[in-house]
Amino acid sequence: MSSHDSSQQATELARKTAEVRILQRVSRDINSTLELDEICDVALRTMDELFEFHHAIILLLEPDNTTLKVVASRGYENQATGGRVQVGTGVIGMVARKRQMMHVNNLGHQRAYVAAQRREMEKAGRQLGDTLPVPGLPNAESQIAIPLLIRDDLIGVFSIESPVPRSFGEHERDLVSIIANQIASAIHNGRLYEQRRLAAAALHEANQSLEARVAERTAALERELRVAQALLNEARSRVEGPLLGESAAVHGLRAAIARQSRSKVPLLLTGPTGAGKEAVARAVHDASGRTGAFIFVRCAEVSTQYRRGGESPRDAEQSFIGSRFELAAGGTLFLEAVHELPPDLQRTVHKTIDHDRSHSSPGESNAPDVRLIASTTLDGRQPPPGGFPPLFNLLTANRLSVPSLSDRREDIPALVDHFVRRHARRLGKVIDDVSPDAMRRLEAYTWPGNIRELRTVLERAVLVCRSTVLDIDADQLSEALAVGSYRLVTQLGSGGMGEVWLARHRFLVRPAAVKLIRHDVAPGAAREQFVRRFEREAHVTAGLRSPHTVQLYDFGVTDSGSFYYVMEYLDGLDLHRVVTRFGPQPAERVIMLMRQACRSLAEAHERGLVHRDIKPANVFVTRLGTEYDYVKILDFGVVKEQAGHDGAMLSNPEIVQGTPAFMPPEIVLGEKRIDGRADLYSLACAAYWALTAHTLFEATTPAQMLLQHVQAPPLPPSQRSELVIPKQLEALLMTCLEKDPAKRPASALQLEAQLARVPCGPPWTNERAQQWWADHAPEIVGRT
Amino acid sequence: MARLPPEIRPVLDNGTPAVMVTCSADGTPNTTVISQVYYVDETHAALSFQFFSKTIRNVRENPHAFVCVFDIAGQAHWALQLAFERSETEGPIFDAMEMQIEAIASMTGMSGIFKLRAADIYRVLSVEKVPHAD
Repeated sequence: MSSHDSSQQATELARKTAEVRILQRVSRDINSTLELDEICDVALRTMDELFEFHHAIILLLEPDNTTLKVVASRGYENQATGGRVQVGTGVIGMVARKRQMMHVNNLGHQRAYVAAQRREMEKAGRQLGDTLPVPGLPNAESQIAIPLLIRDDLIGVFSIESPVPRSFGEHERDLVSIIANQIASAIHNGRLYEQRRLAAAALHEANQSLEARVAERTAALERELRVAQALLNEARSRVEGPLLGESAAVHGLRAAIARQSRSKVPLLLTGPTGAGKEAVARAVHDASGRTGAFIFVRCAEVSTQYRRGGESPRDAEQSFIGSRFELAAGGTLFLEAVHELPPDLQRTVHKTIDHDRSHSSPGESNAPDVRLIASTTLDGRQPPPGGFPPLFNLLTANRLSVPSLSDRREDIPALVDHFVRRHARRLGKVIDDVSPDAMRRLEAYTWPGNIRELRTVLERAVLVCRSTVLDIDADQLSEALAVGSYRLVTQLGSGGMGEVWLARHRFLVRPAAVKLIRHDVAPGAAREQFVRRFEREAHVTAGLRSPHTVQLYDFGVTDSGSFYYVMEYLDGLDLHRVVTRFGPQPAERVIMLMRQACRSLAEAHERGLVHRDIKPANVFVTRLGTEYDYVKILDFGVVKEQAGHDGAMLSNPEIVQGTPAFMPPEIVLGEKRIDGRADLYSLACAAYWALTAHTLFEATTPAQMLLQHVQAPPLPPSQRSELVIPKQLEALLMTCLEKDPAKRPASALQLEAQLARVPCGPPWTNERAQQWWADHAPEIVGRT
Repeated sequence: MARLPPEIRPVLDNGTPAVMVTCSADGTPNTTVISQVYYVDETHAALSFQFFSKTIRNVRENPHAFVCVFDIAGQAHWALQLAFERSETEGPIFDAMEMQIEAIASMTGMSGIFKLRAADIYRVLSVEKVPHAD
């Protein structure tokens, strides 16, 4: 071997060694990163080292699989990065399509050759396509392009170009192929890493969202738990409150409860009203370990219903007594004021428990296993006049007397402390103590209403208390709380807007209903909204003069900052209660009630006001002097100016207000132009309820109910009631229930006139109404 | 039958257009320029059949052809006498030739027009390198 050959071999060896080192380094560098930019940079630098090439680009296939985008370039005067190549166009595009390496030389000549062909064709008048620009050297003479493949999937193309004609030999092509494979592998790894990083980020986000939802749900559950705890506390306080104290009387009572809890013998609780007989009955049940329910039956109400129904004793037993006994199976049935039960029912009760007692062995009796506890405010040792003696004889055999508050006066401080703390907590107030003077007055007072009266007085006092020390003066004890010229007597109810109290004028002694805004609404936007709504109702109601609209006597602000207004006190029942308690009403009565409601609404509509919350609960059926079934429309709390009338919008247009079961579609849809025909729709819903005891639509959620008002055609009321409904009335109601207000009667007066023309059975006269009230709610007829 | 020497391969790979001469059955010659002469093996070369209707007709009548390939870098040209054997419209030879032609055509608005219709395989009858005079 000559020295020249040796030198050539040495040079070749050195060159190959250098190439191997470069390839080792590129393998290490390219796999040490997952960033696309760095991968490309390593690849392009390696090209420099291997070939002293300065024109190289890396393109990646875009998601549409029809284009390649330049992601990195080196050596171009104008960076080619960002440029695009169609798959199938040019050398790069063809490599992408064929997925084969391509080596082209003398590109200039080839282009010139094709261009000459093109010119010839154009001369011959042939229409040819446009020349497409391709990223890269415009004057490239040689090019090698290699597909970047992962298995058989194309991810891009690696291309190097030269402006001079040169040939890439087999060895050089192999080197470029190795680099291309490294690039493809590294890009693939980077993409996998990116996908996993994004998946991890999405997972993290989902976890956070889940955590947030769990936290939200936990908070909601905690709130529900607090509400449930409050309810439980309240129930417990009703039960435990009367049993608090250390007096001998209450000690004796607790001992008697413990004894009674171990027995199943019927028990009669005697004692004055308000002494805590229900609490004692519940305590006996709780201590008995009986797993069934504690069923409370207010006998006065049962009596009213029984008189209305006029069923035979057998039916009555089934409907009133039998069903209650079944409900109380395994538990306790508590008959409050058992002396109020009609004698027929007393007989049925006696028969049931006597039968049960005479078949004491398991399996002998079909009667449910029920512990009966009854209460009475009468003496209890003698049957009440008209009562069924065997029942009372049976009950008095096991009698427990519940002491009046005056008999356990030493328990008053403990009871006061309990009720004050409980009510203050409910109202969100902090009351630490009761003033010594107040406590002395409370201890000295006679308490004819016993613990119930004590609780009511303390609740009123807490309501208006503005200090952390509760004070009660003699006036409050003797005459109750004052609001304006009225004194609150008893709470009639509470609702979304506040509490309603029965009140009396100081001098006129006229009964009135006083509505107080809630005290447990926290200051802020919600409170402001309540206050605005309260004032609005007062202003609007005061402006209406129809005798069928509840009359407003007064309104203002109490010393403690509570808003109040005083309305006429209505003795009777709202339409909701009438139907709930006594079932569907005859058509002639419903017509008569609707006509009166129309007169109230006609005035409001004439003044440009829409009630927006007409529903059975706001149609109050009362007695006015000698007139029965006199309708008063209540609660103009969500009233709104009709579109087109001057004046501010009284309701927030962003909030859908009203009651879902009776809400007209235009209010559901939030339409801005609401007029009196919306009330006619709601009134028809109320009439539908009165005729059928069913709401217009049945739904499990308010949203479903609202949707049906918008979309669903209603069933005619005759299909949902066994009572006779005149066709004309049904047709009129269905017209009022049209989704499109334009298809409803034009006004309340027009509807009233149409109702007057509906032929039906015997008219609903004042005499019939009076008889109805006498039969169904004699306590109302009897009041003066 | 002659063999193609190794030194001709880079010249063929250069992709420089070549001159091709054919004769009709009655001996009338025809000269044309072809875009590719593809190295198939030592005894065969492939020529691109694009739209040279006269050349193709001649070859089908008279299989003999003369091709002059220019070695620009080497300051020479190569004279090849060939005999037509067959036409291929698929397979690796066709694909490789078509890929290059289509790559160029697609850049120049000639896609679908300037295309390979067939790869015509010729047997090499003789090969001669002719240096250019200085």
